[in-house]
Amino acid sequence: MSQHIHPSSRRINLASIGANVLLWGYAAIVILPLLLVVSNALRPTREIFKNPVGLPTSPSFESFVKAWEEASFNIYFFNSLLITVASVLLATAVSALAGYMLGRYKFRGSMLLTAYFLAGLMLPFRLAIVPLFLLLNDMGLIDNRLGLILVYAATGIPFSIFILSSFFRQLPKELSEAARIDGAGEFTIFGRIMLPLVRPALATVIVFQFVPLWNDFFFPLVLLRSTDKWTLPVGMTRFFGEFQADWSTLFAGLIITTLPLIIIFLLATKQIIAGLTAGIGK
Amino acid sequence: MTVSTAKPTRGKKRKRAKGVGTGAPPWEIIALFILPAFLLYTIFMIWPLFQSLYFSFFEFKGLARGGFVGLRNFHELFTRYPLNEQLPRAFWHNVYFFIGTMLIQNTMGLLFAKLLYASRFGKRFFQTVFTLPYLISALVVGYLWSLMLNPLFGPVNQILRAIGLESLARPWLGDPATALPAIILVNAWQWVGFPMLLFSAGLANISNELREAAHIDGATSWKLFRHIELPLLLPVIGIVTVLTFIGNFNVFGIVWAMGGVNGEPAGATDVLGLVFYRTAFRGGVDAFGLASALAVLMFIFIFGVSMLMLRYFRHMEENLT
Amino acid sequence: MKSTLFKLTLFLLLIVMLAGCAQKPADTQAPAQKPAATQAPAQEKPTEAPKEMATEAPKAEEMAPVTLTVWSWRTEDEDAYNEIFDVYEQAHPNVTVEFVPFVATDYNNILATGLTGEGGPDVVQLRAYGGLQPLVEAGQLLPLDGKVKTLSNFSPDLLKGAMGVKDGHIYGVPFGIQTLAAYYNKGIFEKLGLSEPTTWDEFINVLETLKKEGYIPIAAPAKDTWMLPIIHDTVGAPRYGGPEFEKKILAGETDFTDPNYVASIQLVKDLQPYMPDNVVGVSYQDARTLFLTERAGLFLGGSFEVGYWRNEGPELDIGIFRVPPAPDSVLDHPLTPGWMDGSYGVNANSDAKEEAIKLVEWMGTKEFGQMFTEKIKQLSPVPGTEPKDPVLAQFAKFYEETPASYMLLVDFRYGDPSGTTLMGNGIQKMLLGEMTAEEVAQSLQEGISQWFKPKQ
Repeated sequence: MSQHIHPSSRRINLASIGANVLLWGYAAIVILPLLLVVSNALRPTREIFKNPVGLPTSPSFESFVKAWEEASFNIYFFNSLLITVASVLLATAVSALAGYMLGRYKFRGSMLLTAYFLAGLMLPFRLAIVPLFLLLNDMGLIDNRLGLILVYAATGIPFSIFILSSFFRQLPKELSEAARIDGAGEFTIFGRIMLPLVRPALATVIVFQFVPLWNDFFFPLVLLRSTDKWTLPVGMTRFFGEFQADWSTLFAGLIITTLPLIIIFLLATKQIIAGLTAGIGK
Repeated sequence: MTVSTAKPTRGKKRKRAKGVGTGAPPWEIIALFILPAFLLYTIFMIWPLFQSLYFSFFEFKGLARGGFVGLRNFHELFTRYPLNEQLPRAFWHNVYFFIGTMLIQNTMGLLFAKLLYASRFGKRFFQTVFTLPYLISALVVGYLWSLMLNPLFGPVNQILRAIGLESLARPWLGDPATALPAIILVNAWQWVGFPMLLFSAGLANISNELREAAHIDGATSWKLFRHIELPLLLPVIGIVTVLTFIGNFNVFGIVWAMGGVNGEPAGATDVLGLVFYRTAFRGGVDAFGLASALAVLMFIFIFGVSMLMLRYFRHMEENLT
Repeated sequence: MKSTLFKLTLFLLLIVMLAGCAQKPADTQAPAQKPAATQAPAQEKPTEAPKEMATEAPKAEEMAPVTLTVWSWRTEDEDAYNEIFDVYEQAHPNVTVEFVPFVATDYNNILATGLTGEGGPDVVQLRAYGGLQPLVEAGQLLPLDGKVKTLSNFSPDLLKGAMGVKDGHIYGVPFGIQTLAAYYNKGIFEKLGLSEPTTWDEFINVLETLKKEGYIPIAAPAKDTWMLPIIHDTVGAPRYGGPEFEKKILAGETDFTDPNYVASIQLVKDLQPYMPDNVVGVSYQDARTLFLTERAGLFLGGSFEVGYWRNEGPELDIGIFRVPPAPDSVLDHPLTPGWMDGSYGVNANSDAKEEAIKLVEWMGTKEFGQMFTEKIKQLSPVPGTEPKDPVLAQFAKFYEETPASYMLLVDFRYGDPSGTTLMGNGIQKMLLGEMTAEEVAQSLQEGISQWFKPKQ
């Protein structure tokens, strides 16, 4: 099966050993610092101060309980989940609609519209924080989760349209024509036929929006006020101050924050790779 | 509901506008599809950006807008000390950051993609592991590596000493000569999975007939890579380059977490994102006018150069085909 | 099975509605605040306010409950503040005080926008001196003079830190004073037979002995630039003349390139051999850890560290001394630089201004001041308060005996770039060998002169 991938030669063994050393070596560089975080979360702070790189002698989950309860991570966690999921779904839904139209049809202004949307990929949006704040303030959307959701959704649109439109473009024309002959309307074709076919792209778009939004602390810090609306990263910044010397709890907090992403990513890797593969292929 | 039909790219030779319908639906339908995205994007993204442009011509007192001052804010950016020294320095640090990232992170990404493409075992495992740091917030990554590189308590120096490389044990983030390179490496550590996944996707899209043909012609694997795969990866290289450029000129979190708001030590890690942050939130009473002016200059530069890059890569692609 | 789009939209709507619903709990608090808001018209005349307050005080007891939100940059003091506000709540049953601390490094950025719009705070912890001005000029704070009686407890000098420079109004009730000195580890000093130095030679001798015995003499951080002007003033204030120099420079009779001032900067460079190796790589937290883990003998810092030492190293036996004047000093005695740390003000946009004013008024009383100094372990500016912590009491005594202004913060933060920023960056470069003391002074003078006009 694979002989067409690699020319068989005597050097192949040497090369593949070298490749394996490189891959495993780098994997260690990735994993060891992460293991350090996990191990330190299981050790009392005093021990960490004495010896930052050590294994837990008597692992304890106390720091996790402390982070979850004392640092109100349960509230932040819910907010993060709500805001991130809603933003990602909203952005994906509107981008799928627009991406379908822009990917499948040529009409007057379609090129211009595509360029307009893609321009967003290149704009350093964070720099517009002050006008954005004033805009949301005029709309009464400060300290409001909906305001943050709308902003986040808007930032996700350029990338989502970029990936989704290139996907829709590749679907064979015959599919929609057959349906049209059966008398299906544009929305039916889109929803029933086209959308299920771009599932890998949807997965890609969802994950690549999810990660930066889940980790963002800049916008919620400025746009949300009440602690009961805070997201995890904002909670983390406060947590850093409060427990600045309690490293064990800090590390536990870091793990709680990151774990959901890792789970989502592990579940979606296959789809993402398929999605990117097709997305790159024009 | 089968996913398999979603991979029609392979095998079929690509024809431009293959699936694209010629007869567009009536404009009401088009509008219904496009309007939601258009409105959301325009109101919450484009409009604030335009407002920045407008604000840059006004004087500010805190958040209160004062009178029209023409180009004074722009003039101040380049004449007020020490901004006039920090701004060019930060700009060159961004350039340095971009070049370093291209050379280290993206080359590594390509290398890993190539190695993994050839390997049969553990492909998914390595892809997942190398992408893991991307999932962690830049703040956390910065914090973690600051601990790792800490000159007094950090494990990196302890390990270097333990294996007899005492001379290499240095205050990585405290020495102006090594601080920025160290941050570039940490940033690469976090992001390498991204170019790797994109290059993997690009490699997977190159048809195997081409590889077989080259193999029959007796090409070595290096020649195969250099003359077949690399040119065909050009579109991906283009995307990766532009995304890296945009990301690097906006870089903020990782530098903030590792070098502080002033880009310590002694401004050796100062970048435009930090200058903007300081101007907007640490400056004097007239901060927002100045910050808007700086934002406008950064918009224009980042957008302009990205467009030029895209055009350049498109041109190169056309020359190849 | 209808269509995926349909399901997606439905789910989406659900989520958006959920977001809306989740909003509700916070919204229900709003009506409760409304009565207070209607009774406090936004543009009341400052002089009338106390009268109104007095007549309405009995009514307030029957009034619907009010929640006052207090914003602060002291995440580490959250528990202490909650205890303090519990006392206030007991005396004012209709009031609930919610203390919301933000991470200090982002506090300015939050405040810049925070006082506008919904859900902002009623009472805000304010930076002192120059740090206060952007909020004042944007009209986001309520002037408190004439409304808050307890302001008369404070000296005009202290109130300068809560004053709008342009209009002369007072915008906050001072909550803390900070002063500077050298911390030392009593245990180590005892072991090595050292005592508190009273002359520069003795000081150098202490450092030499510590170094010889394998300790880091001074746990100085030079990665965090904000600590460097503090180290400079702790060591160099008598060298340039402290208050005398301050008077002259404010009057325009001298500037920072004065040879005595340059020499005071040079002192920091002279002490570099006694700081950790690669001092520019040592962060503030690292330096504190060095002192805490007894690897360093001295820590040059402020009274704001006392709480940290007590919490993290309860078994640590620490003392403080004033760094003696260096040779050729303008003054023949040591100095204790200090400053007003900040104040609590009222958001001009608050829904419950009257209750907020009452709260900050209470924060100027001895009851609050005493609890503040005991629980938060910092110095209270309220006259008659007595710190219980011996080290803190020592700081207070030093400040009383040999007061000086931490000049770069007190007088040179009214413009951009600020004196502390310029000095911090300059000293860092000096420690790296990239700048001389003269150049640091010049850069300071050049930056300051862009906005600073001496009073004639």
